[in-house]
Amino acid sequence: MLGLLLVPSLALAADSLPAAVQHRVEEALLKPLAEKEKDRSRFSRARLPPRERRVRVPSATTIRDASDHEYVAFAVDVRFGDQWQENDIVGCAYPQTGALFVKLGDEYRPADVLLGKNADPAPVACVPGKPRS
Amino acid sequence: MALGAAFITASSIVYFRRDELPPFVIEKLPLRFEALWLASLRVHVASAIVTFPLCILLMTRALQRRALLHRWIGRIAGAVILFALVPSGAVLSFEAKGGPFVSAGFLLSGALVAWFMVKGVLAARRKELGAHRRAMLHVFAQMSVAVTSRALLFGLDAAGMSPDVAYVVALWCPVLGSAAIAELLAGSFKRMVKAHGLKMAMFRRARFVARPVARVGR
Repeated sequence: MLGLLLVPSLALAADSLPAAVQHRVEEALLKPLAEKEKDRSRFSRARLPPRERRVRVPSATTIRDASDHEYVAFAVDVRFGDQWQENDIVGCAYPQTGALFVKLGDEYRPADVLLGKNADPAPVACVPGKPRS
Repeated sequence: MALGAAFITASSIVYFRRDELPPFVIEKLPLRFEALWLASLRVHVASAIVTFPLCILLMTRALQRRALLHRWIGRIAGAVILFALVPSGAVLSFEAKGGPFVSAGFLLSGALVAWFMVKGVLAARRKELGAHRRAMLHVFAQMSVAVTSRALLFGLDAAGMSPDVAYVVALWCPVLGSAAIAELLAGSFKRMVKAHGLKMAMFRRARFVARPVARVGR
């Protein structure tokens, strides 16, 4: 979790925010996830890994959460057969810290949870704060 | 089936690691009663690791010939299945992927195991070996769903089927198919007993199994 939270991503300082977020998600989440899935037993009731994953950043604009930090939403689509399934993973990235969070149920947790780490929900992460008057 | 049981055992070790969440658990988060669910998962997996190989052993002719050993292993397997495997499976079924239809499939399979286990034990106590055999065939058939279902999941994924649909198909087909095959085998055996008597029926069954094996060996 520390890896994702504390190491700032230089890529996020790039001009194109969607491209930077996409790169960050691929490097910090999808690549380690694919590596982990390589070693996983296929003889399980857990869903088998998809053939392919792709990151989408629907909006280039940042949003401020309740603790006044900026974040950008992202989504990961997956392909099993020929068809893509959208929003298999939904989450947000914090450009300043490089931290990634993913949505599980109604709550957001650090993205490390998908890599098998115990991670409690983060109540304010990825939730828009009240607009300033 | 023994190979399948070995694969399941090997892939289940991750459920006992405290520092790591297995993919099967991650995809269930958030859980309503997480502690209860995780405890049930560990009880279910541990009891399955013990009972499934025992059930395979109990179905072999070698063990069926050793009545005392068969009886004691049967008692151990029966107790663990009835008091650990089935109840923990029922708890897990309520959080099954795919909603109520999939939950119903797991509950039906568990109910068949429990029902036929009780029937089989009672039949054995009454020395009704035909009825005991039929009941235990059903128990074994439902236990084997663990293997056939996973094999089907693997095959349907290779065929490119959506995992959500594959999960439903790979549960209901083995549950219903195994029950039908068990009933078919029990029925054909019953007819053999009626026509030739128990001893001859057992001999014919051994030949029925041995013939294709010999053919493969040629």
